[in-house]
Amino acid sequence: MKKVKTVLLGLIIPVLVVIFWWYATNYGNTPESILPKISTVGKTIGAMWTAGSLQEDLIISLQRVVEGYLISAVLGIVLGTIMGMSETVRKIFQPTVTTIRQIPIMAWIPLLILWCGIGEASKIVIIVIASFFPIMVNTLSGISQTPLEYVEVAKLYKISKWKTFIRVYLPHALPHIQTGLKLGLGVLWMAVVAAELIASTSGIGYRMSYARTLMQSDVVIICMIVIGIIGILMDKLLTIIFTALTPWERKRRERG
Amino acid sequence: MAEENSLVINHLNKKFDVDKKQVEILKDINLTIKKGEFITIVGHSGCGKSTLLKIIAGLVGYSEGEIIRNGKPVTGPDTDCGMVFQEHRLLPWLKIKDNIGFGLDKSDKQKWNETVQKHIELVKLQGFENAYPSQLSGGMSQRAAIARGLVTSPDILLLDEPFGALDALTRVQMQKEILRIWEEEQTTMIMVTHDIDEAIYLGNRIVVMSARPGEIKEIITVDSANAKVRGSTDFSYYKQKVYKHFFEDERETEEYNI
Repeated sequence: MKKVKTVLLGLIIPVLVVIFWWYATNYGNTPESILPKISTVGKTIGAMWTAGSLQEDLIISLQRVVEGYLISAVLGIVLGTIMGMSETVRKIFQPTVTTIRQIPIMAWIPLLILWCGIGEASKIVIIVIASFFPIMVNTLSGISQTPLEYVEVAKLYKISKWKTFIRVYLPHALPHIQTGLKLGLGVLWMAVVAAELIASTSGIGYRMSYARTLMQSDVVIICMIVIGIIGILMDKLLTIIFTALTPWERKRRERG
Repeated sequence: MAEENSLVINHLNKKFDVDKKQVEILKDINLTIKKGEFITIVGHSGCGKSTLLKIIAGLVGYSEGEIIRNGKPVTGPDTDCGMVFQEHRLLPWLKIKDNIGFGLDKSDKQKWNETVQKHIELVKLQGFENAYPSQLSGGMSQRAAIARGLVTSPDILLLDEPFGALDALTRVQMQKEILRIWEEEQTTMIMVTHDIDEAIYLGNRIVVMSARPGEIKEIITVDSANAKVRGSTDFSYYKQKVYKHFFEDERETEEYNI
């Protein structure tokens, strides 16, 4: 019952947007090239689907997203953990990492094209650079903020370093890692679209930029909706995984 | 032959560096504790009593002197010495049974289960094996912490103000429980406390400490059985005896505050 209510509440704004959209395109005098009718968008989705271009673009972009995301998740969690566990490593990396973090992802593109060409590699690298930092920074803070009181308990029982990591540091960091992964997800699509806008002949981002030059606003809108929906699905998937990984958090929240 | 003394402390000194100046935390501590004794240590906060416990546990080093724990000089933490802290320090992500069995070798799963179950029963937490710490009350959490401290069957259990954060009623209840556990397990117990009543009620001997530097002012042996009855004349006699030390100290601390 509570779940149904949550879903319904979340649907209020999308429904209002659709109503407004429908009203503006049917009763206002908005030209189709600026804001197409809902029915036009529906027809275009159908056409794109039967032509197979929507699935094709989606699969290509998803492939890049998943590959890049997995790489940056592994790199981010591993490096964040090592930096969190060792103060020396943290001191070595932190200034450099903080500096590189400030560079906007778009600024990397020219160099990356020179270095990695215009193939898949440059796109994956862009995605990795974009989503790596939030994951790493949050993992680092999760590990390094582990209360020393808990570490002392492990010391008291002569628990080995590795076991202390598995049983004390890692569980403490898990909610932080989740936050990092979700933030990484947020910039993921930004990166993939940016990468495809510039040097590509495939993918959702490419489709969008191509449609823009042809004034096909319906295609642009479809691509935006598709990205949004995949984004929320991936976010939900992460929530499900981490809820299963951190059952104690749920118990704590239930207690309030 | 079994060692007669659980703990021997000789001329122990502990100094900390604070702003490049050496501050004496503990000064010339001498204490011998027999096997199976219940020792309570009372003193002002900041008198170094918690540091003393951590030194005994091997978590903190010391500057001079010697400490012999169970016949061996203390070089670090070991499973022959358990510790319970003021905050229960249960790991939020482990179920109660896993928290209790935290310090126990899990390679023999069956033995682990048996030992953990035995200690859950010892602290009367049956039915909460699979609960998480956030689902337990303060008193129950502290019971679990005591069970965790005892699970490796240590010869000594150190208790650092374990009931300090509990409400008055739960506190009295827990004092009874720890006495029962002490009688059942025959573990040497060393408890640091602020609470003079608690110190008299639980201790065979009460170690009274002064602050800055932490020194032992007096060791009071509670040898009258009547002293364990709160409100009895013997109880008030010991209470007077302990109080006396702190009234003297109070004038000093007032001067510090100005």
